[in-house]
Parts: sequence; structure tokens; C-alpha cells
Amino acid sequence: MKPIHTIAVGFDGSADSKVAVRWALTLARHYDAHVVVAHAVGLLGRFDAKNVAVELEESLLALCDECGLEHARARLEITDGDACSVMLRMAEPPISADLLVVGTRGQGAHAGLLLGSTSLELAEHSPIPLVIVPSS
Amino acid sequence: MLIINGSTDDAGHEDPGHPERPERLAAVLAGVEDLHLGDDLLAVAPYAASRSELVRVHESTYLDQLGAFCYEGGGDLDEDTYATYDSWSLAQYAAGAGLAVVREMRIRGDGVGFVAVRPPGHHALRDRAMGFCLLNNIAVTAAELTSLGERVLIIDWDVHHGNGTQAIFWEDPNVLYVSTHQWPLFPGSGAPFEIGGLNALGATVNLPLPPGATGDVLRQALEETAVPAIDEFKPTWVLVSAGFDAHRADPMADLALSSGDFAQMATFAASHAPAPGRIALFLEGGYDLAALRSSVNATLGSLLGDGVASENPTSGGPGADVVRSTRETRLAALRIAHDAGQ
Repeated sequence: MKPIHTIAVGFDGSADSKVAVRWALTLARHYDAHVVVAHAVGLLGRFDAKNVAVELEESLLALCDECGLEHARARLEITDGDACSVMLRMAEPPISADLLVVGTRGQGAHAGLLLGSTSLELAEHSPIPLVIVPSS
Repeated sequence: MLIINGSTDDAGHEDPGHPERPERLAAVLAGVEDLHLGDDLLAVAPYAASRSELVRVHESTYLDQLGAFCYEGGGDLDEDTYATYDSWSLAQYAAGAGLAVVREMRIRGDGVGFVAVRPPGHHALRDRAMGFCLLNNIAVTAAELTSLGERVLIIDWDVHHGNGTQAIFWEDPNVLYVSTHQWPLFPGSGAPFEIGGLNALGATVNLPLPPGATGDVLRQALEETAVPAIDEFKPTWVLVSAGFDAHRADPMADLALSSGDFAQMATFAASHAPAPGRIALFLEGGYDLAALRSSVNATLGSLLGDGVASENPTSGGPGADVVRSTRETRLAALRIAHDAGQ
């Protein structure tokens, strides 16, 4: 098995994504790895990108403390794109993550469909191992 | 003559408060009406793209899933993109509109095509909706033209990189994709070293521009980097992904173009069409309604020889250094790719 040096985890500030970030930070502590916390800025996201970045940074520091990971081992990466494309980019240079981590976000009546589910789309396309962390 | 496929019967694709809204199309068609074309305007009948026409550029499973998603009532496909019950039907008409326009132009051997439809298309991937786009309208038409043996130049001047169109034709040497776009900006792709796949090296030309760039910088980028590739490619058709969100008034980005700049870009695009009746424009973005109306008016006016742009072309913005480094990066990427292939 390839060693895990870098873990990329998707983070949009939602409760589901916080569960995934906690899981990634805890795993990083066990593997002595670094965590890139990826936040995608979509077409509409540009309107409040600055405020969101501040909130996410504060959340990340608190989650690091909660999980016992040094702040220097986790960093926020804010990237233009949709959530799926941004996570796929984390597997490529310069990040070259060894593992992708995302939370689940059901789509209500459409939960059985692939469309609209970043986690399921990533499961189909990710070139590296992917962990989908359930929200409960 | 302007050959148009556009309809305001698109109200079923709407999400209250979303910027990609029916009023956009009304503004576009008002820009056409302002030209007072009379008998020089031909509206072709609406046409819904067939399954066989869509699967040239989209995966069959995606089409099934999108149709099912809409028939279940729709919802959010991602953080930007929505679909409603009516969206599947409207998207098929949007994807078929270019086919209808180009078929009419092929019969007449003349005219300027304008595909005024929504939802827009250039972010839509083979297997995924994205960036307000469900089906890739311009790609559906380009694929039909290449199936007929044509060589298609796509010029994409929307302020956002057309990642979907680029990906669909990444390995197709019969489509030259040229994009000017703000960078960095959504969708995050469109770097100058993205030059096409192994079967189509050089057939993708990306011209990123910094925030604040004006029309003179954009024209410099096209002349210095795109023209050599276009001359070598020798297109037989020119299709334009005509987004108008690079206008200085648009809320979605930070380029500083005017309606006069769009008129000049249209003239540039037309100058690379090999004969009359070989250029068609497809509406993509553009979210300031007044800018949309005046820019459509100026763009089509310049192609038809009617009217004068209400705003002068712009100049003096940043980006000349970016244009130079883009050209150098592209040339280096081409050299590396060719050396690796030998």
C-alpha cells in the first residue's frame, strides 16, 4: 500500500463536511500526514468568498484543536471550480494527495441518483483511494 | 441575413433569485430587435436534439439520469446548477437549436447564425452538468459538423473558461478550441499549457487574462497566440461561444470589456470563416441585462454591417505581460509534447 503523506478533504462548512474533516484530521494524526482542506468556489461562490474563507479558517483551527492535530499540519486551499472538479484536482500536482475524503450529502428524493452527489461522482472518477464519511 | 433560433418560451427553467434567468433571453432578443432587420431576419423552427445527436458529446447514462432527475421534479445539481421539471425538455431544444440554424445555413450558403437559447452549455461535460449548463449546445453542433467532414474553429469569449467544450474535443484534431477568459476564476481550468490531447496537440488554445483586462489586451492575445494556430488549422466553419459576462458591467467577473469590444471580436471571428454562411454564435453567459442587450446588438450589428456599437472599444487595462507569458508557455508546452512524442 502506498504511504499516506497528504490527505485532501472537501470542506464547505456544512455539518456533513465537518464530520469528514474531523475524520481526515484524526487519520492524519495517526499517519503523521498533512491535510489539505479543499473548499470549492463556484460561480455563485465568488460573491461571499472572502467572508466564507475567514469562517472556514476559523472552523479549521477549531477542528484541529478538537482532533489534536498541530495547526501547521492542516491548511485551507480555496480553489475555483465545482466541488467534484476541485477534489479531482487535489489528486494531481502540485497537491498530489494520496487519499481523498468527503462527507455525504444526500439529495432527498434524488438520493438514489448519481446526479447531484459529489461523493458518488468522485467514487466514479477518482484516480486515488476515496473515503466517503457518513454523517452519523 | 440573421438566421436565429431563439424563443422566450423558456420560463420553465428558472430558480428564483438565480442569475441564469429567463430575463436574460428577453434582453438578448431585445438586442436583436434593436437592429430592425425586417426581412433580413429568419427565425428557424424550434428543434429538439435527438438522442443520437446528443450521444456524440454526452454519455448515455448521463442523459438518462438528467432526464430522470428532471422528471422527478429537479433540484440542485451542484452548488451553482439547477434543473426543474421542464429543464430536460428545454435543454434538448437548446441543444438542437444550433443544429437547426446550421442546417438552414448549409442550405442557403449564406447568413450569420445566432443560437439564442438557455440554459447555456459550455461548462457541461460529457457526464456532468456544471456551471449553470446541462447540455453542451455548441459541442452538439460542432460534433455534427465534424461528422460531415468539416473542420470547426470554436472561439469562446465567455469570461469563464469553457471547460466542458475543451474536455469534449480534447482528443479531436478536427476541432480547434480557442478560449479567452479571466484567470483565476471559475472553473479553474484554461491554463496556457492545456494544449490538447495526444491526438490533437495544439488544437486547444487557452488565453487567460487578468482581472481588469481591456479589449486591446484581449485582441493582442488573439493576434499573437491564436491566429498562428487558426491559420495552420484552416477552419471550414466558425462557431462562437458568445458569452457577454466579460462586459465591465457584469457582476459575475472582473474583465473590463465594452459592447464595442464584442463587436471587434465578432469581426475577428468572422475574418476566419472561409466563406459566407459559415459562422454561428451561441449564447453562453452574460448577467447584466442592459450590457447583454447592447453587446448582442453590437456583436450582430458588426457581423451584418448594421448599426454602430453604443460603447467604444476599450484599452489601457493590465495583461500585456500575461499575454507574452501565455504565448511562451504554450510554445514550451508544444515543444515538450512533440519531443515526448518522438
